[in-house]
Amino acid sequence: MTGRERYIPYLFLLPALALIIIFNLFPTIATLIESLHGNSLVRGGRVFVGLGNFNRVLNDPVFWKSMQVTGLFSILVNPIQVALALGLALLANSKVRGITVFRSIYLLPVAVSINVTTVVWGLMLNSEGGLINGILNLVGIERQPFLISPSHALWSIIILATWKGVPLWTLFFLAGLQGIPQTVLEAARIDGAGRWQSFRFVTLPLLRGVLLFVLVADTVANFLLFAPVLLLTRGGPQLSTNLVMYETYRRGFVYGDLGVSSAMLSLMLLLVFAVIGVQFTLLRRRA
Amino acid sequence: MATQTGTVAPKATSLQMLRLQHVWRRKGERLLIYVLLLLVALMALLPLMWAFAASLTPNAKVFEYAFPFSLRALFPVEFTLEAYEALFARGFGDALKNSFWLAGVTVVLGGTINALAGFAFARFEFRGKRILFLTVILLPFLVPVDLTAIPRFILVNTLDWRNTWQALIVPGLGNSLAIFLFRQFFEEIPQDLIDAARVDGASWMRLFYNVVLPLSRPVLITAALFLFLQQWDAYFWPLLVAPRPELRLVQVAISSAVEEHRTRWNEQLAGSMLAAIVPILLLLPFQRYYIQAVTSSGLKD
Repeated sequence: MTGRERYIPYLFLLPALALIIIFNLFPTIATLIESLHGNSLVRGGRVFVGLGNFNRVLNDPVFWKSMQVTGLFSILVNPIQVALALGLALLANSKVRGITVFRSIYLLPVAVSINVTTVVWGLMLNSEGGLINGILNLVGIERQPFLISPSHALWSIIILATWKGVPLWTLFFLAGLQGIPQTVLEAARIDGAGRWQSFRFVTLPLLRGVLLFVLVADTVANFLLFAPVLLLTRGGPQLSTNLVMYETYRRGFVYGDLGVSSAMLSLMLLLVFAVIGVQFTLLRRRA
Repeated sequence: MATQTGTVAPKATSLQMLRLQHVWRRKGERLLIYVLLLLVALMALLPLMWAFAASLTPNAKVFEYAFPFSLRALFPVEFTLEAYEALFARGFGDALKNSFWLAGVTVVLGGTINALAGFAFARFEFRGKRILFLTVILLPFLVPVDLTAIPRFILVNTLDWRNTWQALIVPGLGNSLAIFLFRQFFEEIPQDLIDAARVDGASWMRLFYNVVLPLSRPVLITAALFLFLQQWDAYFWPLLVAPRPELRLVQVAISSAVEEHRTRWNEQLAGSMLAAIVPILLLLPFQRYYIQAVTSSGLKD
């Protein structure tokens, strides 16, 4: 390419890249910088406070409690969702008549936003007369205090997040399953592999890349879960659903402490990168 | 003779029985698959069916058949549109209109600029290509936008964009995933077509509009769906930057229905159904394209 032509690719790139730099890349760096600043009571405006915000965050029992809740939530929700999504993908991959209708039905929770999911499930999990208690009542289980008891509330969030999340992750597994050549599975069958064996030794190893991606993406997505907590529990009862994303919102936008909130967000950013990093190293080592 | 038939006959029956067993086992398996498929379908549908029915029910009777549960819970108890009427009387129609407008503008403007960038990455060699791709496309793709909302919020305030359309539109235009999708598709366009247009003296811009875009229907649908749904579902960001009622979007309208009218259940559900029906009607006919958009985010390398 000569002369004027050399600039053409940059012109094509300019609008999108400029916007991404301004509204995505810069805020990422600025989050880290903002976490080193605080509100000045004397002069007003922002002043540099060094690691002061981190110091406050790391000595804050509410933050640690929210990390604990988030950890428990992650350990429960991610394996549940990934296992169910894999199972559902195997089921939806069956070659039976009418399967496309079922697949369309399974797509519905993907289309529904998390807010809608939250409102509908919030009412279904109503502890007085909700539909779920109604169904439990049919099989002789007494009313459960789903959203109002500290021992139940986190599970309620897990249930609604799972209804919305599993169909999405199923799409990835289904795409992965459909990418496995039929000949490989036939070869396994001819070699005398049973259903479980061909799943364990053929399908699963071939799905490893997808599995890893889903595990990472699901972990990150659930780490960011926010709307159900805001709309249903406000972190309660007794901080039992005070997920860290909600805690950063509360500190930053309800109490106006942007420095502490940024420090929390910086820690979350580092954690997200650590999760991505660890899981990719795991994949590379096994490969 | 008698012994011969005696030995042959049982053999035949055992073979037949084996075959019969095989057929029954396959039938049983198929039955089991259908039972499971139906069970999962029920779990996916039940919340939506109940919510839809309850949204058409007088508020006092929303929980009438939910507890104790009867199948009548899945049908309107006393059919009424009062929830929808009340909702529209309080401006839910404006929220729908605003969300359509925001999503539509994002599809057109965002679709254009991301397609241009995708084309540059797919068909040009230029200095800094690799490093630009890694830092400006891949890195922001990995950083969840909600985690960097505070500086973006401060930036928008500094620009004096709070409570304006710009605050809602502009930050959502440049999109890494859309650029990925376009790049992937444009890489597959035969070089001959591009060369032919170049020989004819078409400028790169003309070539892009007259040759490349007409070939790109699938990726245009995929990217448009993705950008539309992203803005339709937007909640956290609009909540921060555009609290003014005139700019209220559909997801924010739902959440404020919950916060301001905690016990008007049928209205909350009516709003939810209106917010849900749009993406459902878009996704079902175009699911192939949507699945493409979603799954390619996992196959980025």
